[in-house]
Amino acid sequence: MLKGVSSGFGYLALAGLCAEAAEQSPLAPKTPHFAPRAKRVIFLCMRGGPSHVDTFDYKPQLQIDEGKPGIGRRGSRSRAKLLGSPWEFARHGQNGLNISELFPNVAKHADKLCLLNGMHTDLPNHPQAFVKMHTGNSQFVRPSLGAWTLYGLGTENKNLPGFIVLSPQTGLGGAQNYGSSFLPAIYQATPIRGSSRGGSGQINNITNPRVSKEAQRIQLDLVQSLNQEQLKKDVVNPAVEGVIESFELAFRMQSEVPQLMDINKEPAAIRQAYGIGNRATESFGRQCLLARRMAEAGVRFIELNYGNWDQHRTLKTSLERNCGATDQPIAALLADLEKRDMLKDTLVMWGGEFGRTPHAQNGDGRDHNNKGYTMWMAGGGVKGGIAHGKTDEYGYAAVDGKMHIHDWHATVLHLLGLNHKKLTFNYAGRDFRLTDVHGNVAKEILA
Amino acid sequence: MTSLRLSILSFVGLLAGTQGVFPAEPSPEGIAFFEKKIRPVLVERCYKCHSANSEKLRGGLQLDTREGIRKGGGSGHAVVPKNLEQSLLVEAIRYEDEDTAMPPKEKLPASVIADFEKWIMMGAPDPRDGSAVAEKPNWEKSKNHWAFKLPEQPARPKVKDNNWVRSDIDRFVLAEMDKQSLKPVGEADRRTLIRRLFFDLNGVPPQPKEVEAFVADKDPKAFEKLVDRLLASESFGERWGRHWLDVARYAESSGKEANLTYPHAWRYRDYVIDSFNADKPYNQFIREQIAGDLMPARDNQHRAELMTATGFLAIGPKSHNENNRLQFAVDLADEQIETTSRAILGLTIACARCHDHKFDPIPQREYYALAGIFFNTETQFGTVQGPGNRRSTPLVNLPAEATKNPGEVLTVSTRARLEKMLVDSKKELEELTAQARKERASGSGDVQRTFQRARAVSGRVNSITEKLSGYTAAGKSIPRAMGVSDRGFVRETRLLERGEIQQPGEKVPRGFVSIVNPDFRASFHRSGSGRRQMAEWLVSPGNPLTSRVIVNRIWHHLFGQGLVRSMDNFGSTGQAPSHPELLDHLALQFVDQNWSVKGMVRQIVLSSTYRMASDYDSANYNADPENHYLWRVSKRRLDAESIRDSILSVSGLLKWDRPRSSAVAKAGNGQVGRSRNIQIRTLMAPTDYRSVFLPIVRDLVPASLDLFDYAEPSLVTGKRDVTTVPSQALYLMNDAFVIRAADSMARRLFDEAPSGEERVDFAFKLAYGRTPTTNEKEKARQFFNSYQSISDTNNPEGKYNRGSAWSSFCQALLCSAEFRYLD
Repeated sequence: MLKGVSSGFGYLALAGLCAEAAEQSPLAPKTPHFAPRAKRVIFLCMRGGPSHVDTFDYKPQLQIDEGKPGIGRRGSRSRAKLLGSPWEFARHGQNGLNISELFPNVAKHADKLCLLNGMHTDLPNHPQAFVKMHTGNSQFVRPSLGAWTLYGLGTENKNLPGFIVLSPQTGLGGAQNYGSSFLPAIYQATPIRGSSRGGSGQINNITNPRVSKEAQRIQLDLVQSLNQEQLKKDVVNPAVEGVIESFELAFRMQSEVPQLMDINKEPAAIRQAYGIGNRATESFGRQCLLARRMAEAGVRFIELNYGNWDQHRTLKTSLERNCGATDQPIAALLADLEKRDMLKDTLVMWGGEFGRTPHAQNGDGRDHNNKGYTMWMAGGGVKGGIAHGKTDEYGYAAVDGKMHIHDWHATVLHLLGLNHKKLTFNYAGRDFRLTDVHGNVAKEILA
Repeated sequence: MTSLRLSILSFVGLLAGTQGVFPAEPSPEGIAFFEKKIRPVLVERCYKCHSANSEKLRGGLQLDTREGIRKGGGSGHAVVPKNLEQSLLVEAIRYEDEDTAMPPKEKLPASVIADFEKWIMMGAPDPRDGSAVAEKPNWEKSKNHWAFKLPEQPARPKVKDNNWVRSDIDRFVLAEMDKQSLKPVGEADRRTLIRRLFFDLNGVPPQPKEVEAFVADKDPKAFEKLVDRLLASESFGERWGRHWLDVARYAESSGKEANLTYPHAWRYRDYVIDSFNADKPYNQFIREQIAGDLMPARDNQHRAELMTATGFLAIGPKSHNENNRLQFAVDLADEQIETTSRAILGLTIACARCHDHKFDPIPQREYYALAGIFFNTETQFGTVQGPGNRRSTPLVNLPAEATKNPGEVLTVSTRARLEKMLVDSKKELEELTAQARKERASGSGDVQRTFQRARAVSGRVNSITEKLSGYTAAGKSIPRAMGVSDRGFVRETRLLERGEIQQPGEKVPRGFVSIVNPDFRASFHRSGSGRRQMAEWLVSPGNPLTSRVIVNRIWHHLFGQGLVRSMDNFGSTGQAPSHPELLDHLALQFVDQNWSVKGMVRQIVLSSTYRMASDYDSANYNADPENHYLWRVSKRRLDAESIRDSILSVSGLLKWDRPRSSAVAKAGNGQVGRSRNIQIRTLMAPTDYRSVFLPIVRDLVPASLDLFDYAEPSLVTGKRDVTTVPSQALYLMNDAFVIRAADSMARRLFDEAPSGEERVDFAFKLAYGRTPTTNEKEKARQFFNSYQSISDTNNPEGKYNRGSAWSSFCQALLCSAEFRYLD
């Protein structure tokens, strides 16, 4: 059912053009492979590789052995010295999850968190690891997790993009991280750039300054009939299909987006809870509140971005700043989703492209570490209050409950009701999937 | 860092399309046994002579990694799991043979020997990663990587259909198609060809008259004539110069935290455009950008040109607020290495800053050899001290009256305004300083705040002073540029352990990366940075990369895909060429023909390969949907500049001349952003110049470009993204710029065509270079009928008025896919 074929004779060529085309659109909701636990995803993407040993992976031995030689690349003694976490850890929630004092507010939701302490990925380089986390493949351009999700499930609100990324990265693979590759173009993310990246934090040009909706619809009908002519001529042209769909979606968005993006409609207490109005938390607070609004409105996959977590030096100040900027907003998001009874079917995921070394760099920093790090999930059918997997005594490498990025992808799809082995797309003569020939669902974490 | 070897292994696995290179997981019990009984003994008794850190590795045997202990030394496997007979280590520790008895001084206790035997019989569980090669990634494979070998002239292949072949390019392409059982589609028609040529060579659509003339041209050389005309047009440099500006990460601000303006960066932009228009040999173009300041000049004008060229090294993103001078210098050199190596060599040399390159054979030492050249270079990027800026330098002074573009003029009234502002600001600064002093003495008030205000005002003073100093008394611009110079003496360079400035290591003499151009020899003088030698290293015939990388870039811009698809990475993690022989052929020919970019473009566009249609063919498509083997010309979306320039061109708004500078130059020095001294709104004021002349402020790229996948100006970008998202549709439907252009286009229709039907025809010719089909005419008619029925303000057959159906009609054409896709 979900097995797609790349063909120019998509629904567009057959359906002709009418308002109802949207019903048969590739964005229309589809039935998953089995009953889903999560209906939507909010991915809190922490670019740069947040340190796990200072946040969600408590390593008492690291504290004890601080100053001793670290482990080098070959398992040999490294000239760098082990650096104990400068922050205190404490047990939180009914199950006593260890979380550092950097996340005091998130820690209050410990019973919702499923810490994935056994994460590992292939390369300790930002661009490769970042792209791998998003697409499962750092060597070739492949569809992103969000695009596969949209392809598998469609979206619930035909008036909004099904995959939105806030404050997207321009480096580290750029749009490739949110792209659709060989999947139809409409599955790629719609980016909303934050004000710090030249955007307005808004979707611009959402209303026409001059003409009525009616007049614009007539204009759009002409545009689309010209596009249809083009499509007929080209036989196979996914790009033109993408253009057609993006215009229809854009047209529909005009009626819904202004309200969606207007967070001033939220009660003052809510805005305050998210940290809006406070300089440190303003930026990510807005992202988190928007994410909740989008989730509510039926957007399938929402990715937020915060960084840089690449603390090669000044770990103390810089990590503290990052955590301070995100802790309250994330906690507010979890609380808000729960209050609205949405957490049960919203999968919230936190993490970056890798973690950091237990030994120091530049005295007060940590280097990249792809062999062991932490991500976490909450809501959407995962067990709360558990730590799944672990790293060695210092936090160098995952040793137990190991979860490779492919496994993570497989698990995310599983929670969404999709079998990662069956979610395929035929391209260039073979069936492709997000997890290629890998991926194991971490059954242990399913609620 | 801890997992380097494993990463390489798994990476190689990915390349080969296989997995499972991770060794089988040993059991936790096995690991525990190893950790408790085996590792301590190895560390205590063996590592001194048999590990990566041994002063001298004895017998070639390394016992500190799993791979090492299994492989053994010169005499054979030290440990063969579950096989005591073949495990030479057992023989050695049992003291069975006098010659091999180990450890040499004292036999191990019997219980320990028993532990080793037990461990081997358990399967020798061993959690240690890493290769047996001491502290060096395994480069054997990557040393033989194709791109590190010099291009060789390949034999011209035989093809089935010689009639199709116009040039050697076609021969190579067709031979590959023959191999893959693909057939080239037919040649594109003239309307398609002229449109393709105009966009590819000049970045704008042809005017309707030009299309008709070309279609009607009976001259057998019509195509060549057109190509030569477009190569000679000023627009060629505006398009191809922009391609280079993508890889040169051109921008007019620092980006990063402070985002300070670079008001003189535009001179480098103009230099690049002029260089492409002059068809400057590419090797010369590279030399000038690396070492123009050190090259002999014919006259003052040439001197100015050479000095401006080095802006290449100065315009990169920088953290001007960096406290530590040394850190700033090291980061600056790193950015210069990163850009130079990726842009020119297609190599990621900067990966070797903290450690040996993980994939390509580039030792950390060689990074510092190269860095020594940049450490000994003064980078002159200008800017003024003030909020957000602790690092400023003088600019490069260009010879007076020697620049092609005279720059802005300072009017009398502006000067008066600035001078008044300066006086006021100085006064304000004095007051604030006095206030701060008083507050500090009395302990009252907020000293910090006063100090911050003073800092802001002092920044303003510096910025105005700098601006006024840039003009003669008569208001003429005193030309200055960003660039580099030598300082006349040389400091030694030390390698930085792990890239940390606190960890200086051994001294490293200046030099180059030996895998590239290993036979190149240069002597460095005590007085010069060595950039001159570096420039020669980059473009000398022994360099296998420079020519390949640039012909690949040229190919990419003409076909939408490179022969090597990873444009900026020709290293071992990049992609292999689809047509390796063609790539070598072109690279050699390029050098042979004096590195002429126009010559290479000309040769490629004259080929049958380039002239193919973009038609669909089901057999070909099923075999090669991505068109790797070039059985047709791929359809491409226009890039951001071409989309904007087309909109301006068809609407008759486009200003073809070159502005005197840039909006950033006019704004002067300062920080860009909300509540900063330079307002985004001022910089982004509407302008109808070609897009290459728009202000490029890092992180604040104009929406018209940014929405359509403009190159990220902080990064070397050989290949732009192509996205299709609703925000683009919203822009085309609703943005004031597009609406204004549609109005203007409608006006143009009324000026040039008398009847409604002719206007529709003309609109299609403008937008697509063709007349509408019957079906499309019918759609147009329907459009006007519907529009009339709902709109009370429009008057379709009457005179043009704003907001009319005709404007809406024109906008529809601008919105359509055909307008921004190239066949």
